[in-house]
Amino acid sequence: MTLRTTLVLLLAIALTILESVIPHVLHLRAARPDLLLIVVLYLALRDDVMHGAALSAAAGYLSDLTSATPAFLYTFLAVLTFVVVRTAGAALRTEGGIQSAAVAFGASLGHSLLATLVFGFFTGAGLHFELAPMMWSAFGTAIAAPFVFAALRRVDASFQHGEEAPGGLR
Amino acid sequence: MHSIFKRFREPIFVIALLAVPFAVFFVKAKKGRDLNALDRAVIFAIAPVEKVISLSAFAVIDAWYGYVALRNVREDNVQLRRENLKARQLEQQAAELRLENDRLRHLLDFVDKQAPARLMLARVVAVGASPHSHTLRIERGSDDGVVKGAPVIAPEGVVGIVSQLTGSYADVQLIVSPLSAVPAVSQRTRSRSTVKGTGDIARCKLTYALRTDDLQEEDVLVTAGGPGFFPHGLRIGRVVNVVRKPHGLFLDGEVIPAVDFSRLDEVAVVIEGASRVAAGGPAPGSVP
Repeated sequence: MTLRTTLVLLLAIALTILESVIPHVLHLRAARPDLLLIVVLYLALRDDVMHGAALSAAAGYLSDLTSATPAFLYTFLAVLTFVVVRTAGAALRTEGGIQSAAVAFGASLGHSLLATLVFGFFTGAGLHFELAPMMWSAFGTAIAAPFVFAALRRVDASFQHGEEAPGGLR
Repeated sequence: MHSIFKRFREPIFVIALLAVPFAVFFVKAKKGRDLNALDRAVIFAIAPVEKVISLSAFAVIDAWYGYVALRNVREDNVQLRRENLKARQLEQQAAELRLENDRLRHLLDFVDKQAPARLMLARVVAVGASPHSHTLRIERGSDDGVVKGAPVIAPEGVVGIVSQLTGSYADVQLIVSPLSAVPAVSQRTRSRSTVKGTGDIARCKLTYALRTDDLQEEDVLVTAGGPGFFPHGLRIGRVVNVVRKPHGLFLDGEVIPAVDFSRLDEVAVVIEGASRVAAGGPAPGSVP
C-alpha cells in the first residue's frame, strides 16, 4: 500500500468520524453532508480506475459500517457511483469551488435516489422517496465538497512534488 | 488467456468490485448484520475517537451555556421552583392513581406477565455516518449485557432497537428507519395499528389502522407490547394527516415521533426481556 493510499484512507476515516459526530453535536436533522461520497467523486475524477475503484469501495465500506444498514449496500453504491461519475467524467469539471459544489449536489441527489431504490427494493422495506431530506443532504454535500476536494488536492499535490524529487515517497 | 486478462484487467476488477458487494448485499439484505473481525476492529478504532470528540464538544458547549445561563439564573430559579411545585402535585396525584390501579388490578386478579424491565443508561456518542442512515451509536455493548434486538427508549418515548454491537458500543436502528415497524395502540381508543419508518427523521407512516377505528388527529400512540416487542405503554408519537378513503380496509395517516432523534444525548436500553427476544422470536420492532 502506498503512502498516498494510506493518507486517502486516513482522510476517509477522519471524514467518517466527522460525518457521524458533527450532526450529533450540532443536532442537525437535515443538511447532513455525505462526505464520503465527495471522496468517491474526487477519486472518480482524478484517480486511475483500479486504484480509485478500490478506494471507493473502502470509503463505501466505512459508510456501511457506521450506518448499520444491510451489509455492503454502501460499498456497492460507492463503486457504482465511481463507475457512473468516471464514465461521465469528461463532461464534468471540478476545478472551481462552485463547479465541485454543483457536481457534488447532482451526485448526492443521484446517490440518494439510488440508495433509496436499492434499499427499498431488496430489503422489502418498500420505496419511500422523501424529497426534502434528499435535497437538504445534497445541499449539505455541495457546501462541504470544495473543502473535501481541497484537502484531497493537497494530498495529491504533496505527492506530485514527491514524484519529481528522486527517492520521493510513494 | 493471460494477455486477455491483462488487457481487460481494469473492467474485470471494477466488475468484481461491483458484483461481490452486491451479491453479499443481495443475500443478506433481509437479515441483520453480524459484525466480523474486521468490522469490529474498524469500529473499535473509530468509536473511541467519536466518543472523545463528542464528549469534548459537549463539554465546551456545556461550559459556554453554563456561563451564559448564569446571567438569567435568578429568574430561572423562580421558574424552576414553580415547576417543581407543580411536578410534586402531579407526582402525588400519580401516586394516588398508581395505588388505585394496584387495588383494581388486585381485584381483577390481574397478573402482569411482562417481566419487569431493567434499564441501562447509555450515552449517545455519534449518529450514523451516512445521511441516509437512521442509527445512533451508544457507548454500551455486549460486555455491558446489551443484546441484539434490545429495545432502546428515552424519557419522551421509543427510540429504536439495537441492530449491531461490539463489546463496548452498539448501533441503534431508529423507529424512523424503513426497516422498522412497531406495533402500536391508541391511548384514547385502544385501537391497534403499526407504525412504520419511512426514512424521514420527522415522521413515520401509520399502517394497518382500521378505517372504522375512531382514530383522530393528535391521538397519542403507545407501544402495544407483546413478546418480542417493545414493553407495553411507551409513547411512540402522535397521529397526523389522517385520511379515510371511501373504500378499503385501512385508513392512511402519519405519526410524528415523540422523540426528537437529533437531540438525543442519552438513552436507556431495556435489558430484561431483551434476552428472551434474542433467544427466540423476531427482534422488537423489526419487519416480520
